[in-house]
Amino acid sequence: MVSILGVGLGVAALLVVQTVMNGFGEEHRLRIRESFGDCVVIAKSPIEGPDVLIARLKADPEVISASAYTEGPALARRGAFSGVAFVRGTDPLATDQPVRQYVVAGSFDGLDDGRVILGIGLARTLRVAVGDKIEVWSPVMAEQAEKGKAPLPASLEVCAIVRTGFTEVDDRAAIIPLRRFRELWSLGERAHGVTLRLKDPANAVATAARLNVGKAGLNFIPWQEIKKNFLEAIRFEKTMLFFLMFIITLVASFSIGSTLFSAVIRRTREVGVLVALGAQRWHLVGLFGVQGLLIGALGTALGFLLTWGILYFREGILDLINSLFGNGDMVANVYQFSKVPLHYDAMDFVVAAAFTLIVTTVAGLVPALWAAGRKPSEAMRDA
Amino acid sequence: MPKVVLQATGLKKSFASPNGPLAVLRAVDLVVHAGESISIRGSSGSGKTTLLQLLGGLETPEGGEVFINQVEQGLVTPRKLLGHGVGFVFQNYQLMPELTALENVVLAAKIIGRSQVEGKARELLQLVGLGDRLRHLPSQLSGGECQRVAIARALINEPAVILADEPTGNLDETTGKEVMKLLLEVVAQRQTALVLVTHSREFAEKASRRLVLAGGVLSSA
Repeated sequence: MVSILGVGLGVAALLVVQTVMNGFGEEHRLRIRESFGDCVVIAKSPIEGPDVLIARLKADPEVISASAYTEGPALARRGAFSGVAFVRGTDPLATDQPVRQYVVAGSFDGLDDGRVILGIGLARTLRVAVGDKIEVWSPVMAEQAEKGKAPLPASLEVCAIVRTGFTEVDDRAAIIPLRRFRELWSLGERAHGVTLRLKDPANAVATAARLNVGKAGLNFIPWQEIKKNFLEAIRFEKTMLFFLMFIITLVASFSIGSTLFSAVIRRTREVGVLVALGAQRWHLVGLFGVQGLLIGALGTALGFLLTWGILYFREGILDLINSLFGNGDMVANVYQFSKVPLHYDAMDFVVAAAFTLIVTTVAGLVPALWAAGRKPSEAMRDA
Repeated sequence: MPKVVLQATGLKKSFASPNGPLAVLRAVDLVVHAGESISIRGSSGSGKTTLLQLLGGLETPEGGEVFINQVEQGLVTPRKLLGHGVGFVFQNYQLMPELTALENVVLAAKIIGRSQVEGKARELLQLVGLGDRLRHLPSQLSGGECQRVAIARALINEPAVILADEPTGNLDETTGKEVMKLLLEVVAQRQTALVLVTHSREFAEKASRRLVLAGGVLSSA
């Protein structure tokens, strides 16, 4: 029973960590796609007449939507507080604006030529809230000042504040309408790039490569490439955690080995009698090996059940941990996730079950082979 | 002349001791015929149990050979035929504590691959006077009853020879006599050979041939 519980806990630890890590990975991948698009089209210089390109891209069956964007650094200031803003010009009327769901104050729909949406970090730096006004100085204004002109900064009212969970976005983002950006940056009708939403984001690498064909000077970057290092880090983290959990399960299997070994020792006399009655070596190996397999199977089933239970009640468990250690809601504060994310991967369950069954069967076979190798006369005498 | 069911020639066995190897059996020869009962007496440590274990294949001799008669296969070494050609009756019964009397008898048959033996097991338990104790665990039986179960278990596979190691050693005098009487009766009735190791002169006298093990050699009593 203790062995089954040990295996169950090992399997549950392995699967809970894997499933939550998968969840975090999936959530981060989604954030990357929502923040940067499924695919970004950029060029060495601003794209002339992006509407023609957008129309062509929209005609592709894999493309759901395409919209031009502009971006560039600017100085943002309010009174004595200032900061570097990474301003993004976007179409406020575009239907798919994922940033809408990250609005924590104000309203996205309030965005117009006189308004701006700020990342929460930048808003804190400037000490502003919704309704406050900030001044924005673009590099073009600095150039004008160099030529002796006296440009006035753009005065924009904060209409919304967003929190995406990406520090580099939240600490610097300032979103204004595309038209206003072009005006402040003197871009004319040009755009810095085009973001695409694809039907099958998982296949973005292939789609981007296909779309790029015949479009010299343009570079189609799928979302997997945009934050490649970050995604690699998540994958590496998952692999390392799997390795650690693997050791936990291995430790549990050693406990099975020792339990079965003591069971064999305890039953030394019976083992001797069985041999005296004609039991073959494989009988004993089968008997104790099957016991190991059974412990593994029941432990795996228990592990699956525990995994489901822990994940089902994960919010309550997390609340308990937070209340015990006083860390506040880490998931919300650090990761900006409303709840602990999950992503069930069938392969994780298959691997965990196969691994556990193999290890527990082997752990059962070792004492079985020892028992089978003993002389029955010794076994009966030692008992 | 009845056929030979067990044949041992030049059996040797020694055990390690602080003063070097201690020879327990020097050159034991023994021939057992079908239906014959042989008693082997000897002082403690003379090697009676060791001899029995060598005969039954539970120990490996350092020298010599043991063969058990099997009609179809000729003489075959006992290790290969544990459970088939040899039936054991141990001093302390050696029953499986979690199994009932019936299950203990059935197990001995099932372990060598025989099936449909429950009826026969019931019959044998009936024969040893335990027809009403089939579902009792060893812990619910007296010592004499446990030994009766052990005798039924030894008979279930119709062995050529039963090797009994002090079968009455753990029993009181009256029960011991009853068990011994039963054992001799059933082997005689079934024409099964019996090799009986015992301290008791009285029980030894009941065998058709009486031997003494002394100095590592068997001789007639």
